[in-house]
Amino acid sequence: MLKTAFHASVAATALFVAGSALADVTVYTAGPEKLIADLAAGFTAETGTKVEFFQATTGNVMARIEAEAANPVVDVLISASWDTATDFAARGWLEPYTSPNAEMVPDFLKTDTAVAQGVAALAIAWNPNSGTPRPTEWADLAKPEFKDLVNLPDPAKSGSAFELVAALSAGGDMAMFDSLSANGAIVAGANADALNPVLQGAKAAVFGAVDYIALNGQAKGESIEVIFPESGTVIAPRPVMIMEWSQNQDEAKAFVDYMLSDAGQAIVAAQNLMPARTDVAADRALIADLKILPIDAAGVYGKRAETLEAFSKAFAQ
Amino acid sequence: MARTVERVSPSVIIAAAGLALVVAVPFVFIILQAIFPELGRGSLAAPFSALAGALGDPALIGMTGNTLLLGVLVVGLSALIGVPLAVARALFKVPGAVVWDLMFLIPFMIPPYIAVLGWIMALQPRGYLEQLVGVNLASFLFSVPGIVVIMTLNSFPVVYFAVSRTLETVGSRYADVARVFGASPARAFWRVTLPLSTPGLAASLLLVFAMAIEEYGTPAALGARAGFDVLVTAIDLRVSDWPIDLPGAAILSLVLVALSFGAFLMQRWILSRRSYEATTGKPQGSPKRDLGLWKWPVLLAFGLVAFVATGLPLLAILAGALSKTISGGLVWSNLGFSNFAAILGDTTGALKALGTSLSLGVATALVTGLLGALSAYAVVKSKVRGRGVIDVLTILPNALPGIVVAVGLILAWNQPWLPVTPYNTALILLLAYCCILLPQPVRYATAAFHQIGDNLEAAARVSGASSLTAFRRILLPLIAPSLLAAMLLVFAVASRELVASVVVAPVGVSTISTYIWRQFEQGSVGLGMAMAFVTILITTALPLIVLSLMGRRGNLL
Repeated sequence: MLKTAFHASVAATALFVAGSALADVTVYTAGPEKLIADLAAGFTAETGTKVEFFQATTGNVMARIEAEAANPVVDVLISASWDTATDFAARGWLEPYTSPNAEMVPDFLKTDTAVAQGVAALAIAWNPNSGTPRPTEWADLAKPEFKDLVNLPDPAKSGSAFELVAALSAGGDMAMFDSLSANGAIVAGANADALNPVLQGAKAAVFGAVDYIALNGQAKGESIEVIFPESGTVIAPRPVMIMEWSQNQDEAKAFVDYMLSDAGQAIVAAQNLMPARTDVAADRALIADLKILPIDAAGVYGKRAETLEAFSKAFAQ
Repeated sequence: MARTVERVSPSVIIAAAGLALVVAVPFVFIILQAIFPELGRGSLAAPFSALAGALGDPALIGMTGNTLLLGVLVVGLSALIGVPLAVARALFKVPGAVVWDLMFLIPFMIPPYIAVLGWIMALQPRGYLEQLVGVNLASFLFSVPGIVVIMTLNSFPVVYFAVSRTLETVGSRYADVARVFGASPARAFWRVTLPLSTPGLAASLLLVFAMAIEEYGTPAALGARAGFDVLVTAIDLRVSDWPIDLPGAAILSLVLVALSFGAFLMQRWILSRRSYEATTGKPQGSPKRDLGLWKWPVLLAFGLVAFVATGLPLLAILAGALSKTISGGLVWSNLGFSNFAAILGDTTGALKALGTSLSLGVATALVTGLLGALSAYAVVKSKVRGRGVIDVLTILPNALPGIVVAVGLILAWNQPWLPVTPYNTALILLLAYCCILLPQPVRYATAAFHQIGDNLEAAARVSGASSLTAFRRILLPLIAPSLLAAMLLVFAVASRELVASVVVAPVGVSTISTYIWRQFEQGSVGLGMAMAFVTILITTALPLIVLSLMGRRGNLL
């Protein structure tokens, strides 16, 4: 039995090792899996270059890059938070590249070292079957009709939720969140954890839901409506970066070009994200339709710890 | 066959080498990371600079206290539920015993993150319970007692199986002797039978404690709302919140390790106080007694526990899997098999993920089973110096959160100077699973070895068997029931491990758990639940088929 077990494990080991050749381009992404799978398939069909990808939350992708830093494998990184692009550029980890296809990407969605793939916005995700009046403004969710019925994504776990908190508490004024907390709103994990109870009806609305996830749910027949308050919201552009250490610069650049091509941007739009290029149409509200709250990124992220602490104080029981 | 007695047996050498590779390597890198904050970038600058920040965190004491409290409460409640059921199962003729074993096996097969989501969807306002009977238990669920109960329902089977198996080995023979000498049945049980089953009880309680303080899913999903922070959730935050704080996570993990190590020392102290040998080579039959009047109350207890621990979560998962939309609720028009069709039609890569995870599960079970048996042998039966170190290495992973094991493995195996590396192959997942799950077979095999008399092996050696032959022909068959049970558990848990897989999975490789997790993350709860249900079916059925093919009886479970 000892021997058999040993042989079996050796055989299994050999099997695993055999199946792993490194690809031509390795992409780490915090985006939806369907998006990167379609982009990779489309890119391979067009160029013949193989794409392997690792998909997880922004946090897990970053943890992996941090742990791998001595011997990195990633060529192209797609984050769900623009903050990553700023931070990695400051560390000198990014290769400057401007894709010829980025011409129609607005200036605020590109830098020398990063360009947006697509853009998500934060919204109120409201369940019309919840027996509550349709909210139109952030402040509506602090009204008595929404007592104990509102979820917020945790700004410590979601970069976009943090930017919304920062934008709505400009000057350190936490009044909005104090009133939500007094109304029984709770902080419920990352984005998906906040949305699921609203679908089932345990809660009526998410304050600051990532729009494309809710829109995808709506397309599947879920009872959920996405409302962009007229007072304004924040957007979460998803930066694409080529790593400075990449051994496959040409392939990586070709991948970025493909992502910003008509075909690539159509795949982005199919996921209910806003395409980064203004000349590509999508079946949803676009950046030009939304009022974007101004954010001074440097100042906001400089005070991240303080903002998070004030936020959690507002929601402490 | 002139071998000196002092010579170190090859089985001990294999055990030591295996443990070094599977446990010591990632653990050493976690310690190095705790000391050298810049380790990930290949630099040893600024040693110890992160210690003060992480250990000086004013929330640390509270979180450590919460972690301990959670561990102790889950252990207590698991013993309260598991021990009486195990005693009834081992010493009496419980009708349908095999069926109950199966029912208590299933909670192992339900991934904790799925189980807790199932509970939330069942008990929250407008959840399945409220849709069916009009009440919800949200205030109970999102509280410390709620967390303890949910975690206990996942972990009491560890106690049940370990104690019932140990008690069966002890049998009623020794109690009968006590009866002959005038002890009452109750006295014979309390003073003879139960104390003799201490190895199984102590080992299983230690496992439950370590599992409880290391588990991430339940405290993360329920605890945040109850304002109940534990060490694992704090560690996860450091690894997933930008800027990533690997040294902080490593240091907090070492606090967890210390807690688990304390529990381990206590278990060792209890076991070292006397001998628990019950298998001495004499043939023994252990006829079980009739329950008599107690038959119905006992059956009711088994049925109630099985329904709450297995039936309810399974039904909640099935409800989620069959729902076309979550918001549609439990109405006929909203139910259908479209999610299962998507899994089996493999439009979403589900079958490949299933194949990957199941083969990894089998490989993990084989490696940890072999390594576990050898390590337990080295610790219990050999007189090698340093066997204490081997014992410690086998319990360490139990206290290491999965995500920290994953980081340790990346740090260790992604060094640029390594000529070959398992990193970025499926082999790294195998290493991660082996590390995380090794404690299970070791604890089970250790308990079994404690019950085997030394003279059995000595007799084989005297008759000319080499130490490996004696191990293979005498000891291994005797511990095989325990070991096989542990390996089946390892198979089930490895097939759906989430926390380490998410971070360490090679590019382009999907496992069952990462697949399910992606579905949840993107809002396809139904698809994730369907995958979970298929997984539970497979991981339950496969071991049963193996057992029946091997012609073993139900008591193996």
